[in-house]
Amino acid sequence: MGLTKEASLDTERLNQVLESIPGISATDLVPVLQKIQEAYGYLPASVLMNVSNRTGIPASRIYGVATFYEQFHLQPHGRHTIRCCRGTACHVKGGRHVIKAVSQTLGIKPGQTTEDMQFTFETVACLGTCFLAPAMMINNDYYGHLTTRKIKSILETYT
Amino acid sequence: MIQMSGIKIESLRDIEQLQQQLAGEKSDCIARVLICMTGCRALGAQAISARFRERLRGLGLEKQVVVVETGCIGMCARAPVMLIEPYEYLYGGVTPEDVDEIITETIQRGKPMERLAVIQDGKPVARFGEIDFYSKQKRLVLENCGRIDPKCIEDAVERCTYVTAIKALTQKTPQQIIDEVTESGLRGRGGAGFPTGVKWNACRKSPGDEKYLICNADEGDPGAFMDRALLEGDPHRIIEGMIIAAYAIGANQGFIYVRAEYPIAVEHVNIALEQARALGLLGPNIAGSDFSFDIEVRMGAGAFVCGEETALIASLEGRRGMPKPRPPFPVQQGYLGKPTVINNVETFANVPLIIRNGAKSYSKIGTEKSKGTKIFALAGKVNNTGLAEVPMGATLREIIFGIGGGIPKGRKFKAAQLGGPSGGCIPAAYLDSEIDYDSIQEIGAIMGSGGLIIMDENTCMVDVAKYFLEFVQSESCGKCTPCRAGTRKMLAILDRISRGNADIAELDELERLGQHVKEGSLCGLGQTAPNPVLSTLRYFRQEYEEHIVLKTCRASVCEGLVRVPCQHSCPAGVNVPEYLALAAEGRLNEAAEIIRRRNPFVSVCGRVCDHPCERHCRRAEIDQPLAIRTLKRYIADYMPDYDRLMVRPVSQEAETAIIGSGPAGLSCAYFLALMGRSSVIFEGQPIPGGMLALGIPEFRLPKQVLEKEIDFILSHGVELRVNSRIENAQELMKQGFKAIFIGTGAQQGKKIDIEGIEQDGVVDSLEFLRDRALGKGMDCHGKAMVVLGGGNAAVDAARSAIRLGAEEVTILYRRTREEMPAYEEEIEGAISEGVELVTLGIPKSIVGSKNAVTGVEYVRAELGKAEADGRRRPIPIEGSETTIACDLVIPAIGQTPSVEPARFENGPELTKWGTIKVDPVTMSTSVIEIFAGGDCVTGPASVIDAIAAGQKAAVSIDRLLGGSGELPQDTGFSCVRPDKEMLEQAPPRLEEEVIPVEQCKRGFAEVVLGIDREQALAEAGRCLRCDLENQ
Repeated sequence: MGLTKEASLDTERLNQVLESIPGISATDLVPVLQKIQEAYGYLPASVLMNVSNRTGIPASRIYGVATFYEQFHLQPHGRHTIRCCRGTACHVKGGRHVIKAVSQTLGIKPGQTTEDMQFTFETVACLGTCFLAPAMMINNDYYGHLTTRKIKSILETYT
Repeated sequence: MIQMSGIKIESLRDIEQLQQQLAGEKSDCIARVLICMTGCRALGAQAISARFRERLRGLGLEKQVVVVETGCIGMCARAPVMLIEPYEYLYGGVTPEDVDEIITETIQRGKPMERLAVIQDGKPVARFGEIDFYSKQKRLVLENCGRIDPKCIEDAVERCTYVTAIKALTQKTPQQIIDEVTESGLRGRGGAGFPTGVKWNACRKSPGDEKYLICNADEGDPGAFMDRALLEGDPHRIIEGMIIAAYAIGANQGFIYVRAEYPIAVEHVNIALEQARALGLLGPNIAGSDFSFDIEVRMGAGAFVCGEETALIASLEGRRGMPKPRPPFPVQQGYLGKPTVINNVETFANVPLIIRNGAKSYSKIGTEKSKGTKIFALAGKVNNTGLAEVPMGATLREIIFGIGGGIPKGRKFKAAQLGGPSGGCIPAAYLDSEIDYDSIQEIGAIMGSGGLIIMDENTCMVDVAKYFLEFVQSESCGKCTPCRAGTRKMLAILDRISRGNADIAELDELERLGQHVKEGSLCGLGQTAPNPVLSTLRYFRQEYEEHIVLKTCRASVCEGLVRVPCQHSCPAGVNVPEYLALAAEGRLNEAAEIIRRRNPFVSVCGRVCDHPCERHCRRAEIDQPLAIRTLKRYIADYMPDYDRLMVRPVSQEAETAIIGSGPAGLSCAYFLALMGRSSVIFEGQPIPGGMLALGIPEFRLPKQVLEKEIDFILSHGVELRVNSRIENAQELMKQGFKAIFIGTGAQQGKKIDIEGIEQDGVVDSLEFLRDRALGKGMDCHGKAMVVLGGGNAAVDAARSAIRLGAEEVTILYRRTREEMPAYEEEIEGAISEGVELVTLGIPKSIVGSKNAVTGVEYVRAELGKAEADGRRRPIPIEGSETTIACDLVIPAIGQTPSVEPARFENGPELTKWGTIKVDPVTMSTSVIEIFAGGDCVTGPASVIDAIAAGQKAAVSIDRLLGGSGELPQDTGFSCVRPDKEMLEQAPPRLEEEVIPVEQCKRGFAEVVLGIDREQALAEAGRCLRCDLENQ
């Protein structure tokens, strides 16, 4: 996908981001992208082009970094982000059944967003909460000791 | 209260004074309530804390009782966890409703609350220092974790944080610090264990004034969470360690590169940095010295490869996180090309300890080449999950069983996965090996960051290997070919194996590829990526082979092979969910018919099966497994048309001869009949049934029940000839039989080689049980007997002896009760009937006079290190000989296979164990017409294994004789999904009742009572119908 096709978004939020980091250089690229994503919810192509123009960091490099790291996404996310842990402890304690249950309940696969833009479903390597296994996070809240049957009622509290 | 704002530390004296003031601060505090607010937050810690504050305010106690929101207290398995000082009571599983009682009972009266305490050996233990989980640890690095408020620098300084750092940079030269750290023997805790002092020295010596220090907190290893706990629970300690390191190497700028997935850690570190700056502990001219240093937090953006130091630096520089070849090493050219030291969080956390107490004191802990302690993140199938800090050199057994409290649900330990995706799986044989950097590598794993995932018998090692390879494959940055393409190829092979589609030769290919990836990859990720595969291949190759050859996954995990775990784990492949569903509807005839499509022994298996299905039942993850065996017995006992035939009796002339009428032989005949073939069974004994009739006593399997079941099988047109011993299978071929099945079992007791064994009064257990079954039972009235052994035969013999009137019966076993192969419920039954169990006793000689036994002399033993099978070897204790007086000794130490009919010239090949060698899929021997199965092939095994062998052989024989070898269709009889609400409300697992002990002793009546209709319907209704999940 290209970086130029998108309708332009407001630049006010971008200005704030760029102002918050004095003397921006290429070494700040990851934090800059993190802040942009925080401000816009994702990395809009037009904003990235804007960053390139204003900082002199080549767009190709920005695109490379934005697509390398799992944290960054170029498409808008749903209102809530579900992150199911696929760490070792979760795996041996049946985490894949939890992942399947979330998929079935929402009708989407990991990496996808529901049509109503309510949920984005991701899996992560390890949430570092192995004692809660199997575990997941919704936004910044942790849920542990999950069973497939708990999933539906947890998701319902977010709709 | 000391007012912190405005205080600026300008000298060592300042910080020392502040520390003393904080420590000596007298307040009217009578108790501190420490509540874990990091990991436990997920399970409701915030509500508890809020309730405490509210109640304490209401009681006017808010000044005297301080509520502290701490980092990880450690006993995560019992989350939410709290600790009450000064009583040192630790409570777990706390709810807001408990708060009032905790205040009145513990805080006001100083009493422990048992119901919230940790249960240890069946008893509640509240006091922190008495809980094994803590008392068996050596918490040095974690000393503050869970004891302080991580957002409060006063708490940290009170516990001497920063004092060591300021002392170091005001009183020591950088070189002195480096020498101290080198001398301490500290090795990097991030993975490879590189000596920290050496790294620092190299950086210091590198030319240039601009140097950098990086704290690697990109804890990406699945299964590791100690760095997270340290950053969340004691962030000032890490900062202190970094100040010391920065001073030593000459860096003025540091970074903490922390995962974005750790929001609490990021928050706490940022707060801690602010506080440290405000006090003048970071920034220009720290504590009045001419050393300046500050730290910036950078959040990782989700790339596992950034745990690799050169990739991490690339990420910090705003590039894609791809590694670079080394040299140059980061200590030469790191961040922005300048000399850089990267250390892991736990490494920095060790530094203050070394500088405070000195290298000598530090290096007293640990092994020769690995010093200090190591924090392990204990998770997976272990009772006490959480952080465990132990000296280097502790054994896995100490960590998993001592601290971790063993494996839940009584399951067996299978392996410990250490070191995450770069590590390996360590089998039970190494439970007693000392763990340090070097010993771990020899075993085929790595220390890594210390993630320790425990796996039990329900974990599939192929699946684990595949899981890790999937992980590294998706995290491979793609820069170098061996890692990018090699892991993909390896994953493809593993995927085929897990679906049963691979060829056995591919195992070697997998190993070869693994070696190439290891040797050819650019960075640590690729170089270690094959480790999980290679280590499981090394220790669990048999499991791989089973997937490929037998198409089975013994843990019932691999989705490509397993339709439903209970059915998959049944050797005979009985469709458990469907027959349970029919039973739940009261359709018992149909339920039995489903069982009988794969297993003719409904009554027998309803009583004596070792039910592997229950061990894999997924309901166990919710509460308890289904009582499948009990339900099977209920079906057999209550079905209206027990004798209804499955097919019309076969009548054509028999082409197959079967030697032995045990479960294997009878099953083979039965399945041949289902496929329209008649057979003749030759039995040497006067009655059929083999071990079922002659080995298993009637109180477990009543005679008439067995007879009825055998009659059912025979009624399908099977001919039985008793008292017909076949000496040589060749004779039968000469008689014109076209196929022969040998199912002669393992009927001879293994001889125990001790002094006095030849005396009268020594009777082998099998002989003892056989005689009793044939009505020639020994009169045991008034006798004292000792049974030697720990298997089912030993327990059966002991319980039979009680029923035959024996006065005293002792079972003498050389290991502990946990290691006894006999079924737990049988051991329990024996003990309740008055059998005495003497464990850890090795028989030494049988004492006798005038050819009559008077006793058994044994020597006491203690358990030594694990043997290859993971069981610990009993080591005799010199001089501890004891004698048990008795009149009769019954050795029951094993059985030898009976393979006489196979012993003839050019006959079937035997194995080195003296069993008949067969193809595990077809049960065919090296002689084309001869098949074999059951104990004569496997050595003593379970009934259901023998039934499965008979079934497989029947299929092969049918094919040999020109048939299609197809067993009757057994699916599609019940597809009703259970109601979710009913499942929620299902009662707990049903436990069968037994007859009173007094009645047991009086005779051979069946001990276990059946269940009634109501119980059966309720129990069957607990089934989750996992088989319908994927439809």
